[in-house]
Amino acid sequence: MKKKRFKWSNLYLVFVFIVLYAPIAFLIFYSFNDGGTMNSFTGFTLDNYVAVFADTRLIGIVLDTLLIALLSSLLATTIGTFGAIGIYFLKKRKTRNAVLSFNNILLVSPDVIIGASFLILFTFIGFRLGFTSVLLSHVAFSIPIVVLMVLPKLQEMNDTMIKAARDLGANTWQVLTKVILPSITPGILAGYFMAFTYSLDDFAVTFFVTGNGFTTLAVEIYSRARQGVSLEINALSALMFVFALILVVGYYFIQQHNLTKKQKNKKRQHAEAVGMR
Amino acid sequence: MKKLLFMVLAILVVCGGLYLGADQLEKAQGITGENSLNLYNWGDYIDPELITKFEEETGYRVTYETFDSNEAMYTKIEQGGTNYDLAVPSEYMIERMIDENLLIELDQSKIKGLNNIDAQFLDQPFDPDNQYSIPYFWGTLGIIYNDKFVDEDAIQHWDDLWNSSLKNKVMLIDGAREIIGLALDSEGHSLNSKDDEQLAAAAKKLDSLTPNVKAIVADEIKMYMIQEEASVAVTFSGEASEMLWENENLHYVIPSEGSNLWFDNFVIPKTAKNFDAAYAFINFMLEPENAAQNAEYVGYSTPNKTALELLPSEITEDEQFYPNEETMKNLEVYEDLGSEYIGIYNDYFLEFKMHRK
Repeated sequence: MKKKRFKWSNLYLVFVFIVLYAPIAFLIFYSFNDGGTMNSFTGFTLDNYVAVFADTRLIGIVLDTLLIALLSSLLATTIGTFGAIGIYFLKKRKTRNAVLSFNNILLVSPDVIIGASFLILFTFIGFRLGFTSVLLSHVAFSIPIVVLMVLPKLQEMNDTMIKAARDLGANTWQVLTKVILPSITPGILAGYFMAFTYSLDDFAVTFFVTGNGFTTLAVEIYSRARQGVSLEINALSALMFVFALILVVGYYFIQQHNLTKKQKNKKRQHAEAVGMR
Repeated sequence: MKKLLFMVLAILVVCGGLYLGADQLEKAQGITGENSLNLYNWGDYIDPELITKFEEETGYRVTYETFDSNEAMYTKIEQGGTNYDLAVPSEYMIERMIDENLLIELDQSKIKGLNNIDAQFLDQPFDPDNQYSIPYFWGTLGIIYNDKFVDEDAIQHWDDLWNSSLKNKVMLIDGAREIIGLALDSEGHSLNSKDDEQLAAAAKKLDSLTPNVKAIVADEIKMYMIQEEASVAVTFSGEASEMLWENENLHYVIPSEGSNLWFDNFVIPKTAKNFDAAYAFINFMLEPENAAQNAEYVGYSTPNKTALELLPSEITEDEQFYPNEETMKNLEVYEDLGSEYIGIYNDYFLEFKMHRK
């Protein structure tokens, strides 16, 4: 074996991960603090975690936040995927670029402005602020993200496959479900998860459209911050971080598992083919 | 395609589960339209145990929503689309909301226990006769200092801020009324002064403060003072009480020559639905033992004079937050100056901020 050589790029990688994870580690560390503040660590306790589970209002907010995130990103992914397909099949290059630009404008425009516009719109048409208003606005700001994630996959797709499918007698529905959707699935999934995270941590837009007893976690934490964020929030963040970690690690192992299975299948097929000869 | 459909189904199932969970939680709290009270308050500005107690006593269910600034709260209520039954703005915002007809006039016959409130906190210029608002907490503007760096005697009056030993050590809160006001107070004028000469003199005096100013900041003062990055700061008593909690070297002083007196009061917005619940909550909070418990939890000063007798003496005798009569006499509430003078105050403050050392 060749001796492993020290690489600068690895050092850089380690540095980047430290920068990314240090704040979270710091926050989790203090969630076990007995002292009540983040100024000094006085002793180990699980009280903060007990407090999280005792605070039914906070638990309710967490459930609502997750519900909004899952549902809004599902709707946004559905709408955004068909939007992307629509944009992809626009005949004129000029119109396509124009539509895409409109999509991008929404992506870069400040959240505060989007939020304020939603507030004005909803109250103008006499809409009651609450679950539905938050859901609708989250769907709205997630759509451009999904479009942007799906479009590259469409461009990667081999157009001749569609032509071939048509030649073989497939109707539009079959072309869509058998050719287009399977080849852009990775983009759709990426779009879904992007939309999900956007929705989870959005503060600015959500702030304007919550009301009547409905809030999300971001808004709640922000308004608590005025009095100094209590360690209960640290504990909750730690729990959510661990939950996300489990999801990601689980997904990783499922993928690995599938990969090895595929390789095994290939090998077996190969062996059978050899044996038949 | 199968994979996508499967994922959609899975997400929908999880959503259903979450919905049921949230619904169960809400049912467990027994919230329905009839018996609910929508309370719109500052974040963490009430003892949660009091909400539970209120719910047990009256049968109403409280939905507690929070805001982080008067302006945010104002926007939500002004735009409509919400039905908060009770909100807690500060005095200048109450005045503005009264002017813009956003509040209902209180039915005094339904309010019990107003006589518990110290008379000096009632009938204030922003709401004469308390037609629209009931005091919740009050506080002052003052100086917070760290005894490691500054002697106690060295900081007792506004003028002490000008002391040359404090070069580059003072932090100021970023507010035109507050800073121009302290200059006016130091000269012995009213902080609602509309006298051009007094204002110009105050602005000039402020300029000579520049060498001592370390920074003009907002909420960050709390952190800087706790971490001892500055030795002196001008800030509100509510903020100060939190800083004192975290760092025992800090002390708060209200200059006896005069300062600002601020209020956070209960009001009922026009968009409220459940008036009975709102009155019930106001009455509940006016009860001395509840006010006392709340004051102990939040750490601000309660206007409820009967409650003071129930509080431990180390709280009520603390002149940092319950100043003596002499000081109280000189405290002033901000009056609405009208747009012309607000402009003048702002201009002077901006000039001060731009003044070079």
